[in-house]
Amino acid sequence: MSHEAVLQALEPMPLVEGEVTPASLDDQVLAFPERKPPRAWFIAFAVTSAIFLVGVALIGYSFYRGVGVWGNNSPVFWGFPIVNFVFWVGIGHAGTLISAILFIFRKRWRNAIARFAEAMTLFALACAAIFPLIHVGRPWFAYWLFPYPNERALWVNFRSPLLWDVFAVSTYFSVSLLFWYLGMVPDLASMRERTRSKFRRFFYTVFSLGWRGSSRNWRHFEKAYLLLAGLATGLVLSVHSVVSFDFAVSVVPGWHMTIFPPYFVTGAIFAGFAMVVLVLAPVRRIMNLTNLITMHHLEVMNKVILAMACLMGYSYFMEGFTAWYSQNIFIHHIFARYVTGPYGWAGILTLTCNVLIPQLLWVRRFRRSIPVMIFVSVAVTVGMWFERFVIFLVSLHQDFLPSSWGFYKPTLVDYGILLGSFGLFFTLVLLFARMLPVIATTEVKVDLPGSQPVHQHPGDHHD
Amino acid sequence: MTEKPVAVLALYPSAQALLDAVPRVRERGLGRLEAYTPFPVHGLDEALGLKRSPLGAMVFGMGILGAFLALVFQWWTSAVDYPVRIGGKALFSWQAFVPIMFEVMVLLAAFTAGLGMLFLLNRLPWFGHPILHTRAIAAITRDRFALAIEADGGELDVEAAREALAAAGGEAVEVVHAYTAPEGKRTVFPWREVAGVLVACIVAGVVTFYGIRLFPVLPPMGHMEVQNKAVAFRGMRSPVAGTVARGHLPLPVADVGEADAVLVNPLPRTPETLARGRLRYEQSCELCHGPLGQGKTALSEAYQAQPANLQSATIRDYGDGRLFYVVSYGFSNMPGYAVDLSVDDRWAAVHYVRALQRSQNAREEDLP
Amino acid sequence: MSEGTSPAARVLIPLCLVGLAGAVGTYVVAGPERFFINWLIWFLFLLTIGLGGLFIVALEHTVASLWSVPVRRIAERLSGLVVGIVPVALIALFSLPVVFPWTHPEAAAEPMVAGKLVWLNIPWFVARMVISLILWVVCYRFLAGGSLRQDETKDPAFTLKARRFAPVVLIIFAFTLTNVAFDWISSLEPLWYSDIFGVYLFVGTFLAGLASTALGVAYLDRRGRLPGLRFDHRYNLGGLVFAFTVFWSYIAFAQYMLQWYANMPEEVFWYKDRIEGFWWYAAILLALLHFAIPFLALATRKAKGNLKLLARIAVVVLAAHFLDLFWMIFPVLGPEARPSWPELAFALLFIPAGLLWARWAMRRGADMPVGDPRLEAALEFRL
Repeated sequence: MSHEAVLQALEPMPLVEGEVTPASLDDQVLAFPERKPPRAWFIAFAVTSAIFLVGVALIGYSFYRGVGVWGNNSPVFWGFPIVNFVFWVGIGHAGTLISAILFIFRKRWRNAIARFAEAMTLFALACAAIFPLIHVGRPWFAYWLFPYPNERALWVNFRSPLLWDVFAVSTYFSVSLLFWYLGMVPDLASMRERTRSKFRRFFYTVFSLGWRGSSRNWRHFEKAYLLLAGLATGLVLSVHSVVSFDFAVSVVPGWHMTIFPPYFVTGAIFAGFAMVVLVLAPVRRIMNLTNLITMHHLEVMNKVILAMACLMGYSYFMEGFTAWYSQNIFIHHIFARYVTGPYGWAGILTLTCNVLIPQLLWVRRFRRSIPVMIFVSVAVTVGMWFERFVIFLVSLHQDFLPSSWGFYKPTLVDYGILLGSFGLFFTLVLLFARMLPVIATTEVKVDLPGSQPVHQHPGDHHD
Repeated sequence: MTEKPVAVLALYPSAQALLDAVPRVRERGLGRLEAYTPFPVHGLDEALGLKRSPLGAMVFGMGILGAFLALVFQWWTSAVDYPVRIGGKALFSWQAFVPIMFEVMVLLAAFTAGLGMLFLLNRLPWFGHPILHTRAIAAITRDRFALAIEADGGELDVEAAREALAAAGGEAVEVVHAYTAPEGKRTVFPWREVAGVLVACIVAGVVTFYGIRLFPVLPPMGHMEVQNKAVAFRGMRSPVAGTVARGHLPLPVADVGEADAVLVNPLPRTPETLARGRLRYEQSCELCHGPLGQGKTALSEAYQAQPANLQSATIRDYGDGRLFYVVSYGFSNMPGYAVDLSVDDRWAAVHYVRALQRSQNAREEDLP
Repeated sequence: MSEGTSPAARVLIPLCLVGLAGAVGTYVVAGPERFFINWLIWFLFLLTIGLGGLFIVALEHTVASLWSVPVRRIAERLSGLVVGIVPVALIALFSLPVVFPWTHPEAAAEPMVAGKLVWLNIPWFVARMVISLILWVVCYRFLAGGSLRQDETKDPAFTLKARRFAPVVLIIFAFTLTNVAFDWISSLEPLWYSDIFGVYLFVGTFLAGLASTALGVAYLDRRGRLPGLRFDHRYNLGGLVFAFTVFWSYIAFAQYMLQWYANMPEEVFWYKDRIEGFWWYAAILLALLHFAIPFLALATRKAKGNLKLLARIAVVVLAAHFLDLFWMIFPVLGPEARPSWPELAFALLFIPAGLLWARWAMRRGADMPVGDPRLEAALEFRL
């Protein structure tokens, strides 16, 4: 490589392509809700809503007939609902990582995708929340999970990780919602000033809280944003760790592995980033945002996916090695069952999708190729769902006593509810793209070339 | 309009222009300076002389408080108010309390950060700020940077302010007046519209409620219906109508007095009988009457109930038959256990109660 | 400044010799077991500092981090410990038959251990260690050596090459460090197992590397050898120490809580031995030094960028890391064993030796990677 080529390769990639000014940014991004959506949007919305409604109907059917219409049975008492719950909570983590952790690390490329990713977190959590609610069997008593003084003189069992889950996921949802909404306030103020419709102006006025961009307000706002990002970072680590505690605190072979907390968090980030890439790759083209969500953004996200795939490979290796090292015959049996026996195909599928296929991303050309990255993202999404399937359900179906062994067969209702949750997710994504600014225009404006003053105060050491 | 001018503002084309203008305008000392920008500008806070935000300390304090409250609450509910031993762990199992402590800490800290910033520090939402009703606000939220000289309590010298801002490079100088709502509308907040939405919700709810009762969409679920009350006994589970369970033949007595007089404990007092009686007592009676029958237990405290003190002289004087009758059919608030315990179980329990009574009222001859 | 006669050396070398005498004395008086346990702890302590430095360098290249370029040379120098540690490692290998239970014939009798002997046997163990040492030296020569060469040649191609191969270094690091954790620490009690243990040692290693780098930065900055270093760089360094203090606490707590909760005898005995009696106080001290003090001290923005404070906290973090290793390894000697003069002797041996080595290392090459094409941009870095 020539000297010049090397220096070129070392240059930091630009965050936006072409000429972008704050005004053109507003016109490009904030104009979406003002326009009538294209026909494709309506078609997509109809399809996803239909799928979602099928899911709702099946949930209603499950309430009517009882949990017996699912495949949950002895010994696999925890079936699809737990797999789906962990799957969706995991997908939510990427959004918080992008909007919070990358903010803390001052990675500017996160600005263009943070809003969308954070919205996807909230939608994924909404999908996730369905499953604990319906799988308790008597959802009308779900409020018993919260510690309130009651006539039974009982308190909830704080020592149970299932209850830690309740606190963790509800905290995660509320903090993510707060973080996402606060970040949107200045953008809503911009939309308030642009809109000519009286109803829209009322809506934006109320939700922008009368934001006016005063420096005194910005000062507190920036501090709050930084603090919320720091707190959300703690949540990314803790929430999926608490979810992993559901399994790791038990003595079920294959579940009680101490690596579960960071392993689950890694898997969550992995699955989440794949979903973000999967959604943003077509969205950026459909919504004409390719100059803002550039190939560089996609390539960097693919690098994160690759790194996570390597970490997942390490985790699988550690699990396998420690399972052997433990010399515990029950753990040996379960791990053998992960890749052989009636569910062996699921384990092989998991390893292929999660470790092998993402290795394609070592090649720079593939990282920048839309078909390849969509293929990899779909593979990762499938692989991560099956990973939860393998860990949770295979460990249950043949644990300690052979007399308790059984086979798990999910029913059509199970599949239908899973599909319905995807329908809900994409319906919410479509609604979000239609109604709210999908790119955090204020944050992107901060780092546009020429936005910030070059010559600041001489004593700008912040000491 | 003859409202008082509250500020004079000018727009600047770039953040650099604004930052350059600030010291020049500030040294004129014409009032309090405020800048309005579409995004935060580095170095602006220092140029305006603004102090650091105190939010960090607030958040830290509330976070610590959240963790502490969560710890205390979990400890009190799990180890003090209703101590339950789960999995053989200690009552104060702090290791198990840490995850919720962490989550509540984050929750309180995050809400302090978000809502504290909005409500306390920024005093938002506020729809009445004068700047929201200027021409400039549209440009400010888009791509222009405004510098405003605000009246600092005293009178605002509008002309001098105009001149200072223009001299520093400002365009579109505008005088900001105190905002008064147009005729007929007292505030910006649309109370009427909000009230309309609330009324619509209430109407919809009422219509749905009565509509469902008139046209039930789902049939009432049979497995959720209230169970039939037992007719004859005050038992907790009703046996199949028209049957008598084995070991549950009805008693040949009519009331407690007759039981006291007539019934005699048919079981011999052997260690096996006492062990059986003890088991039944611990399963069914101890909850209310306590391990020694004294009637003061955690449950009785929680329900303000008054289970009988089996050690009292009155009850020690009861005949075995009376004890048996009360166990079978209940007394006052105590339910009867005829459907739960077989006849023999009940007699064994009576033996055990006698043993308990003797244990607390032993005579000298009882000592070996 | 001539080596050997500088005021620091005049104090450190005699101390070192006293420590050496004490160490020999330990072998003779207190027994080879005591000697090798101490040797092991110090070997791992210094190894993890070196590996921490190597990790920092590889990580920086992988993520193309800009702010850390000015301080990378310090981490590169630290990573030279993986070369310097080789003699210590070779002596440590002699501890195998003394301290490790699976080398003794009774191990074959215990069925749960016998099954592991295909992995835990002396030839394979030694082979793993030797391969790891070779790999570490190769990675060091590539990354740090290449960077030193770049000082002279000013060729930007090395930066691109480093960026491309640093991920491979990270993968090697992941597996070899996990191997160190499982082989050298976990197999001291071969019945015990925990698959997060590699991650646990990794966080401690990274923190040790960061703390040592921070100390190096403070040392050079005080002598004015890092011109252009600004608040923004110091803040990021302090921020990393802060963040990974929290991360260490999370991993440590996760491992402990999971084994406490399931309460399985074949796992929980390891913790039981380390939180009862005397070791309860050691555990409390560990929580203080490794979590509470660095967390509270570095919580504010100003504190993170305060280099003097960061240097002090770095000493606390290094002490905590040492205590961590000590707390994990020393109880193997039995519930009655308590630290006493042998431990002091080894401290007198290794701390001055380490400081002497560090002084020598701090003179290799320029204080900043002057050949790095991004150095100028890095010095302009703003948060």
